[in-house]
Amino acid sequence: MEYNGGSVVAMIGKDCVAIASDLRLGQQSVGVAMNFEKVFPVNDKLYYGLPGLATDVYTLREQLRFRVNMYRMKEEREITPKTFTHLLSSTLYEKRFGPYFLEPVVAGLTTPTELEPKPKPFISTMDTIGCITTPKDFAVAGTAQDKLYGMAEGLWEPDLEPEDLFETISQTLLNAVDRDALSGWGAIVHVITHDKVITRQLRSRMD
Amino acid sequence: MECSFGLTGKDFVLLAADTSAGRSIIQMKDDENKIKALGPHIAMAYGGEAGDTNNFADFVDRNLRLYQIRNHTPLLPAAASAWIRRSLAESLRSRHPYSVNLMLAGFDITDSTSHLYWIDYLGTKAIVPYAAHGLGQYLALSTMDKWWTEGVDKREGIEILKKCVDEVGKRSTLKFKFNCILIDASGIHHINLDSSDPIAEMEQAGKAAEVINPNPPLDVGITA
Amino acid sequence: MPVEGPSIGFDFSNYARNQFLGERMNGLPRATSTGTTIVGLKFGGGDTGEEEGICLGADTRATGGPIVADKNCEKIHYLAPHMRCCGAGTAADTEFVTNLISSNLELHAYSQGRPARVVTAMTMLKQYLFRYQGQVGAYLVLGGVDSTGAHLFTIHAHGSTDKLPYVTMGSGSMAAMAVFESSFKQHMTRKDAIDLVARAIRSGIFNDLGSGSNVDVSVITKNGTEMMRNYETPNERGIKSRNYKFRRGTTAWTKESIRSLIVSEEVKMTTGAGKTQDGVLDVPVPIGKGPGGEEGMDVDA
Repeated sequence: MEYNGGSVVAMIGKDCVAIASDLRLGQQSVGVAMNFEKVFPVNDKLYYGLPGLATDVYTLREQLRFRVNMYRMKEEREITPKTFTHLLSSTLYEKRFGPYFLEPVVAGLTTPTELEPKPKPFISTMDTIGCITTPKDFAVAGTAQDKLYGMAEGLWEPDLEPEDLFETISQTLLNAVDRDALSGWGAIVHVITHDKVITRQLRSRMD
Repeated sequence: MECSFGLTGKDFVLLAADTSAGRSIIQMKDDENKIKALGPHIAMAYGGEAGDTNNFADFVDRNLRLYQIRNHTPLLPAAASAWIRRSLAESLRSRHPYSVNLMLAGFDITDSTSHLYWIDYLGTKAIVPYAAHGLGQYLALSTMDKWWTEGVDKREGIEILKKCVDEVGKRSTLKFKFNCILIDASGIHHINLDSSDPIAEMEQAGKAAEVINPNPPLDVGITA
Repeated sequence: MPVEGPSIGFDFSNYARNQFLGERMNGLPRATSTGTTIVGLKFGGGDTGEEEGICLGADTRATGGPIVADKNCEKIHYLAPHMRCCGAGTAADTEFVTNLISSNLELHAYSQGRPARVVTAMTMLKQYLFRYQGQVGAYLVLGGVDSTGAHLFTIHAHGSTDKLPYVTMGSGSMAAMAVFESSFKQHMTRKDAIDLVARAIRSGIFNDLGSGSNVDVSVITKNGTEMMRNYETPNERGIKSRNYKFRRGTTAWTKESIRSLIVSEEVKMTTGAGKTQDGVLDVPVPIGKGPGGEEGMDVDA
């Protein structure tokens, strides 16, 4: 976990969700890259972040891409955030006695259906062996987890509009990461709304 | 103790690795080549556990060669990096994992871009403009931070690399000799870092400076 | 190694690697555990006229090391319509073990044509846990009502079980048991049972660091199961009197890309409804040139 460093945070807003990560890849105390994104899209309205050991970030990402594509072909529809969370959870629990060193965070919006015309924004997080938590406010993970909890607990409030959510999640991440030696070196934020996904690279401290 | 550097530029990519071989404090060889050409426009510098390094490098080399024979086209750098990373990540989960760190450099002739991948024995992959392994990480990464800029040309690139080599010579108690190559659209070339103008020397030498890919592409289908 | 195999069960492929990594780095990452207070008791029965039943209780705190990972998690897991199971220990293990056994109980009920008994669930759980020699860290309180009456069990991760009239488990078990030992009576009324369970959980919430937040209670009788989620919320968070809403534009960013999810379609009419349109040249196809040649196309040969 502390080998490569990195952190991810997700937050719920009013009919929107946001997920953000830092961009550092390190080898213990040496910084190797400042373009290492830890948040990836599953489909238009579903993103997930994988902070932790970088080799596992790639390995799990490859495996999830395979499994989500299989799901898409078999079911002929896009996977929902809730289903994806359970897919991810069982993928992790399969390796209960030799886990991936990752703490995933999922954030997404569901497309309205007849059964659920007004779907709620969804976030979830897991431990390394796939124990799911689905908070109603925010989810944090990574080497700056403790600090992110503190920041988010203070800054988050319900029903933030997309632009306000962007400010809140950005300030939460930037300030938490400034107190973590292993995270930082740039940040990226995705705000997912019903009609668009806004992705912004933040200007941040580079030390 | 080992040391290697990689650096990208506008239309080329540079790779340098030290040439020492030994165990702990004893050096047994000072002309070990730790850079391997894996195709017409792709090469890697590798280091790590003594036996593992050559074995893994050969494994990669033969597999990329096999791909080229089967498909009449070499694997592009991005795809090669993914394959190598996966090999290492899978090996790590085996009973006897490879302990090899490497830097993969390639020039993509389909879109004329240079690529550099920093890969360690865990299967960690970083796509970077410049990088170092071993001692170079601690000593020369800051040198590259300072001097590297977007789109440096070949001469500037060599200058930066020389600065890194000098830095290691200055700050390290170990003495290294370096082996260096340059990959561009025309292939892989040997670079003499001791020369006053390595680029001119390389251009003058022409064919002689070319790092011969041990298996030139077959004359069937598309040759790269 | 194949990417996907038909294999079932656990995959140990990362085990050796993680041992090695654990030696090199400072320890392995910790899983979420439910530092927990879970309790259960039997009430009613005897000659009181009160219906026999089981009352289960749990706190709602999940921890990861010293961090509260979840402030309101659910620890009373569903097993079958007439059975519930409280879980303590490694959170993922309690979750997956109860899910697995719940599925197997459903299949069991279908194959036998009657609802599964509580002892059956207990046996399935203990045999599974024993097989993993305590490595699957689930500590459970199992309660339910079946054709033979109301039953209450505890199951430890190593596979041992107890059948008792009142039980507690988890890090807050001592605090909760203190309450039970002083106040438990045989054949309590339903209301008294719920009150006692809630008091025992509260004792865990306030005296044990690993337990906290709210009280969940579940009551199972022959007539059905009642799940009282957040039966008591003694740790409600106060309302923030002021906020830290940032002025828009506070955060500086360097690059932006907006992906629009609106699919816009533009329909361009070419020829339609037999009307010729401007800029569209209508060229009639001479007979005999179309498909089928001179004969024309044979539709139904």
